[in-house]
Amino acid sequence: MTDLQGPRRFGPVRWRRLRSLRVRLIAVFAVVALTTAVSASGIAYWLNRDAVLKRAQDTALNDFRVSLTRNVSELPLGATCEELTALAAQVASSGLSYDVLVVDDAHPECTASSDPSLYTLAQVPVPLRTTVNKPRELTASNSDAYHLYWQRQNLSGRPFLIGGTKVVPTGPTAYMFKSLENERADLNTLGWSLAIATLLALIGSALLAQAASATVLRPVKRLGEAARQLGEGRLDTRLEVEGADELADLARTFNRTAESLHEQVEELSAREAQSRRFVADMSHELRTPLTAMTAVTDILEDEAESLDPMIEPAVRLVVSETRRLSDLVENLMEVTRFDAGTAKLVADEVDIADLIMSCIDGRAWYDAVELDAPRGVRAVVDPRRLDVVFANLIGNALKHGGSPVRVKVRERGENVVVAVSDSGPGIPEDVLPHVFDRFYKADKGRARSEGSGLGLSIAMANAQIHGGTIEAANGEQGAVFTLTLPLTQPRPADQDEDIR
Amino acid sequence: MGQNEAVPFLLLIEDDDAIRTGLELALTRQGHRVAAAASGEDGLKLFKEQRPDLIVLDVMLPGIDGFEVCRRIRRTDQLPIILLTARSDDIDVVVGLESGADDYVVKPVQPRVLDARIRAVLRRGERESSDSSAYGSVVIDRSAMTVTKDGEDLQLTPTELRLLLELSRRPGQALSRQQLLRLVWEHDYLGDSRLVDACVQRLRAKVEDVPSAPTLIRTVRGVGYRLDPPA
Repeated sequence: MTDLQGPRRFGPVRWRRLRSLRVRLIAVFAVVALTTAVSASGIAYWLNRDAVLKRAQDTALNDFRVSLTRNVSELPLGATCEELTALAAQVASSGLSYDVLVVDDAHPECTASSDPSLYTLAQVPVPLRTTVNKPRELTASNSDAYHLYWQRQNLSGRPFLIGGTKVVPTGPTAYMFKSLENERADLNTLGWSLAIATLLALIGSALLAQAASATVLRPVKRLGEAARQLGEGRLDTRLEVEGADELADLARTFNRTAESLHEQVEELSAREAQSRRFVADMSHELRTPLTAMTAVTDILEDEAESLDPMIEPAVRLVVSETRRLSDLVENLMEVTRFDAGTAKLVADEVDIADLIMSCIDGRAWYDAVELDAPRGVRAVVDPRRLDVVFANLIGNALKHGGSPVRVKVRERGENVVVAVSDSGPGIPEDVLPHVFDRFYKADKGRARSEGSGLGLSIAMANAQIHGGTIEAANGEQGAVFTLTLPLTQPRPADQDEDIR
Repeated sequence: MGQNEAVPFLLLIEDDDAIRTGLELALTRQGHRVAAAASGEDGLKLFKEQRPDLIVLDVMLPGIDGFEVCRRIRRTDQLPIILLTARSDDIDVVVGLESGADDYVVKPVQPRVLDARIRAVLRRGERESSDSSAYGSVVIDRSAMTVTKDGEDLQLTPTELRLLLELSRRPGQALSRQQLLRLVWEHDYLGDSRLVDACVQRLRAKVEDVPSAPTLIRTVRGVGYRLDPPA
């Protein structure tokens, strides 16, 4: 609890810790234990104190009264200071261990004390002196004018009972001094015992609270751990249900929730896998006839010129659409491979500039592309996948942005950055977030696109399988697609044997 | 081998009727003589009867599959084999190359591409110069296009032979996988480096004393391969 005064810089964390269930439980237990123990000890102490003091007082005062009554009768009228001193000594010696002081108004200078060095009139409190010397009215219930009065007083740090009375109306006044040192020692011992008992109760309650919180908190902690695992996707996480309390109920509820979550997720992923398999199977099935058709398209194309002018366009249509279909199916299969996570990287170390140059050359784009690529930027990549990325980015820029398309290659730290920018109108802001979506067509009015609608999404997937990414933005002039790729890939182990 | 005959004789093994007919048509038109078989068993039988120059082999076949056909042919013969696979990035390619195939094409294949691959692989067996060189116990005779180890003839496929020749032309110099793909396979910049790795493994199995600890054909990390003249 003293932590509350701790440094503020730990603020929120400390606060949270202080407000934790464990701390609160211990605090509550401690407060209850403290209140109970302190009030019980307090009452016990005060009752005891009263009883002890009362008994000591009564005994001493009774004894003083008896002894004084017995001895005062022998005192002559107008007694001298010596006689008064003798009386004091006599009264003191006859009784219990107390001292006596006798005062007579006739001898104000006389200190008639059983121990004159210690007990003088100055030590008797004035109120007591006044009360003792004041006669009381005689009534039916009050037969004497003077009574025995007492007061507890500390004399030089020690507790004393001081009693006083006038024996006869004209006679001297006697005071007794009874030390309460023993009683105080007894009461101190009692006080210490009670304090220690309170402390023990406090410690006990803290331990008890700790134990109680542990029995509550252990299941809570396990529940928290299980919930975390569930959140991380381990849907088979279950809790052991112990007992029949609220926490067991909670555990059962958790298990039921996890169970139903598990079922739903399984059903969903089964359905997703099914539809994925369907697409994969379908593209696969489409491929067989396409392979046969592709095999003969070259023949048809070669012969088209010698065909009837009515038939030639039909043949050319079949040829071009077969190629389109075959591209589409290839792209579909590629997408399903990425979805199923079976796409593999066949990595090799290549010069990025060479790769881009070959990509541009191979597609006869040389006139339309301005290449700013220093030689010597070598990266471990799958050249065929990267070629797909470049072909898609540059092809897309040529198609939608128009030439000249600028391709800039830079090495930046552990990455190579390739920026492909065009000279077109740029990408509308509302389209920008969707450019990598499958079959997303920026121009909805266009009935047919030249591409499959999968190009940029495949480019993105290919970048990602390399641990890279592609970002689309609008530059100063036209759209800019920026590919960022790490320079190195984990190489397959089989290429690493026998190496210097 | 009949690589110098005017018309290359190909054996096409493919189970799908349409693909078989289509490819037969296209390859015939490209100037090849084509025999076709619809299953692995038929293919092996035709192969023994007709001794083709090259085999174009589908991987997915009913009965014994393409890999097994490839392995059985390799036990006795070193003629070039080109695989027809479903896709370029899966295990089929690796297994196919390990079974001894020289090259592969992915369906649906353009007949022009297949023709280029066929001609490239057939060119590998052609003679070029007329010298010979020795690397330890391995002797390469370029005029006879033979390789001997400890005086015994090694049975190398044209691809393996060409790879060894290209490496031995520049002893001690590392050649990258991409360079080797261009020199041996005549592939463009998008060649599959696994072709090189698989062929090197097969070549090592034949020419090295201990194939797992090669001393002749060394791997150079981050670059490619190198033929080391024995010390």
